[in-house]
Amino acid sequence: MALIQFSPLTLKTFKRFRSVKRGYWSAIIIISLILLSLVAEVFVNSRALMVSYEGEWYFPTYGAIIPGDVFGLDYQYETNYRDLKQKFNDEDSDNWVLLPPVPYNAFETDLTVGNYPPNAPSFETQHYLGTDTVGRDIVARLVYGFRIAIFFSLFLLICNYVVGTAIGCLMGYWGGAFDLLFQRLIEIWSNIPFLYVIMIIASIIVPNFWSLVIVMLMFSWMSMTWYMRTATYKEKEREYVMASRALGAGTARIIFHHIIPNTVSIIITFIPFSVAGGITALTSLDFLGFGLPPPTPSWGELLRQGIDNLQSPWIVSSIVMSMVLVLTMVTFIGEAIREAYDPKKHTIYE
Amino acid sequence: MIPRNIQSMNKFIFLSLILVLTYGCSSQDGNEGNVTVGTTEQQVVPVVEDLPEYSVSELPEGLVWLTNEDDPVFADPNAKPGGTYNEYMPSFPLTLRAVGPDSNSGIRGYILSNQLSLTDIHPNTRKFMPALATHWAYGDDNKTVYFKINQDAKWSDGKQVTADDFMYTLDFMRSEYIVAPYYNNYYNSEIVDVKKYDDFTISVTGGTAKPKDDLLLYYSISPTPRHFHKLDENWVMDYNWLISPNTGPYQITDVVKGKYVEFTRNRNWWGNDLKYYQNRFNVDKVRISVIRDPETAYRHFLRGELDTSILTFPNYWHDKTNDKTYQNGYIHKIWFYNDLPQPAAGIYLNLDNEIFLDINVRYGLAHSINIQTMIDTVLRGDYERLHAMHTGYGEYTNTEIRAREFDLDKADEYFSAAGWGERGPDGIRIKDGNRLVVVLAYSTQLHTDRLVVLREEAKKAGVDLQLNLLDSATYYKNVIEKKHQAAWMSWSISLRPSFWQHFHSDNAHKPQTNNITNMDDPEIDALIEQYDNSDDVNARTELARTLDMKIHESGVYIPSYYVPYVRHGYWRWVKLPEAYGTRLSDTLFDPMYLSLFWIDEEEKQRTLKAMKNNESFEPVTIIDDKYKVAF
Repeated sequence: MALIQFSPLTLKTFKRFRSVKRGYWSAIIIISLILLSLVAEVFVNSRALMVSYEGEWYFPTYGAIIPGDVFGLDYQYETNYRDLKQKFNDEDSDNWVLLPPVPYNAFETDLTVGNYPPNAPSFETQHYLGTDTVGRDIVARLVYGFRIAIFFSLFLLICNYVVGTAIGCLMGYWGGAFDLLFQRLIEIWSNIPFLYVIMIIASIIVPNFWSLVIVMLMFSWMSMTWYMRTATYKEKEREYVMASRALGAGTARIIFHHIIPNTVSIIITFIPFSVAGGITALTSLDFLGFGLPPPTPSWGELLRQGIDNLQSPWIVSSIVMSMVLVLTMVTFIGEAIREAYDPKKHTIYE
Repeated sequence: MIPRNIQSMNKFIFLSLILVLTYGCSSQDGNEGNVTVGTTEQQVVPVVEDLPEYSVSELPEGLVWLTNEDDPVFADPNAKPGGTYNEYMPSFPLTLRAVGPDSNSGIRGYILSNQLSLTDIHPNTRKFMPALATHWAYGDDNKTVYFKINQDAKWSDGKQVTADDFMYTLDFMRSEYIVAPYYNNYYNSEIVDVKKYDDFTISVTGGTAKPKDDLLLYYSISPTPRHFHKLDENWVMDYNWLISPNTGPYQITDVVKGKYVEFTRNRNWWGNDLKYYQNRFNVDKVRISVIRDPETAYRHFLRGELDTSILTFPNYWHDKTNDKTYQNGYIHKIWFYNDLPQPAAGIYLNLDNEIFLDINVRYGLAHSINIQTMIDTVLRGDYERLHAMHTGYGEYTNTEIRAREFDLDKADEYFSAAGWGERGPDGIRIKDGNRLVVVLAYSTQLHTDRLVVLREEAKKAGVDLQLNLLDSATYYKNVIEKKHQAAWMSWSISLRPSFWQHFHSDNAHKPQTNNITNMDDPEIDALIEQYDNSDDVNARTELARTLDMKIHESGVYIPSYYVPYVRHGYWRWVKLPEAYGTRLSDTLFDPMYLSLFWIDEEEKQRTLKAMKNNESFEPVTIIDDKYKVAF
């Protein structure tokens, strides 16, 4: 027996989603990227995956740092595993180091005297997309920047939808004065220029991940309310709502058990576009300097650097390509979802 | 089917983005309305009915009148007059007044350069030389200087410059109608009195006794045209866009609001034949246009629409000059070392912060800050390590001070002595469960690249150096209210080291003062008081050197770097004198201050023709280090 029983309708929607090939594959790629980004430390990191030293094994990826003197080096700060690997190779000993494919983290500045950043992509130094203006690896900045951007956007989406759906449903379900009051409130609130508010806030406090989510939430929860309000208005007049009310169900039960499941197609259709919106919003803010504080890896900051240093085209091309790819894939997913939920294809006359 | 509000929000952000990206270009050809403010002939000036009259005092006996006509000239006799010089400013000024609200604009420097003062400093010998005054004499009180005004000196409207115009400066600067508290205060406490002895002889008296060498630095005031100003409560508004008569070689002749300000050389200028003014101020017109973004301005320069550009930043000098305009020799490069007081740049620690109470922590931190690597990598080895707070002040500079170098062993020793010997799981030092965090406030995105290097290097010493980028207004508020832990700061230079504002206990532990380290030390207080009250040059320089050493020993200031040169790119039709510049040149292309360059119109035509025909010249890069000083 299957763990979760999907209704035939859901299965049919899913099948339809799968039939839109580019959307389906985009979804697979994006979801894999998100999952992989959770363990990005394994692929893109200055810490080694494994060190075998004097017969003992070390796994430095997660947890406390291992100071250099543990491996017989003459310093107490974190071991530089790239140098350690070089040292072991030179000594020709039994000790070995296994480095991740990209052996840099997003913060360390790979600087040597006489070699001035930004450096062009090179397989020899393993900076596959080059370095930025301080000598940080661009692959590392992109990967960790992606992780921050995508999770920022997902958290923002969840908050927005919870607030927006709740208020929208109540407006539609209760109607009357409550509806009227919130309509006016939302109209006024949406006219506050968001960017100015962000600029003012950024001049007072140093924004961090959560404070930015909250500020963005304050100015974007309104979008969902209109759609949910309309949908609820429509649904609450339907017989099944009347029937459950006749059976004695309360407001909460009717909204959560009856109305929302029947309007879920609206919510799901919007998700990919909100994700794309969240990523661009954060990138734009970082670009303008009102986003996450330095040295947080960020796409906006990379874009800024790229535009300021057009003579080092690898910076601007990496970040523009990444943005175009991610945003296009998200849009493909959105398109496929819309296709899957298209009511015109669910007709019983089919 | 994108939600309307999300869509519109993103659109808004993106529109703003596009605006930011293109504003620099669009403002050049946008329709901001060609409001011509006018020229000196057209403007309507309030009529001044009662010219102030001043009483005449008796000139003391036995004054020894001094002048300086013997120093070498620094201009080039081959300079040719003529041509238009194109410059840019990042925003259009909000007023043409040089004092009062909003007057601190991009063109204020040009306006002030044309309001000559009584004497000038020779830019090579550093001796005083005549400007509006021909002679000067020192009083016995070490507070008063007497001046003889040049009888040829004229305002740009043809009126004679007389002693009354200097007397009027005092009235004007003390007036509350000009809404300039700084000047109100300065002309009450620093300049105490101006006296008139006849139409062309005056004296200026200061508030405190100073060494003779310094008196002229502080008391060479400028005249104010009393026939032009009608001081009343409407002065700030009425004089917003009026062009004041001046005594210098250039006068504003054209103002198009939002677009440009144009100055024209007064060919009948009274100073034309004076020894030190000859062959200077060569260009006929100087047009300063608004270009909002330095990057855009640089593009305009590469197209020849601006004549010169500053290339001091390493990325400009090394990377942005890889262009065919340089390779074909159309644009020349010059790296010119000067010998000027250097801004006191570096990290200032707030002693009111608990962890800095222990001097070992201050020393340990200094040894954890890797300025040298920052200079050698992101700054490409172009900047120099700064050692003492007051560098480049001649005898006042203590060249024995050596900044604490990055040294992990020494850092460890000092931190251990302060109880920060142990390291946590992330490699950062801990004491009683607290991590060793130092929050460094700074105010410009431009410096992030440099500070990131310090942060990564400090980790090795077990210090979590957190970077706190603040918007510049917030930053200054924070620092001046002493809310910072450590500040990345650069104090601008002054004529002489001034310790009282930065290190005297009078200014410690209270907001709105410049003692941002909260230094509060009776020994240092006593030295500062001696320094401020000394009128003997040797004692004063000795005290300044001692004070700088005390500051070094206290460990409150970690010096960063200084830049003892200026770098420019300039089109080949802009010509420099044989010596390129002077010891005190902070730029080689200020058209109104020093102003030694000229524009060769024939060369310009030749160059433009060559560019059209794809002909090239020999590329030119000049490095001139005759004024280079090692500190």
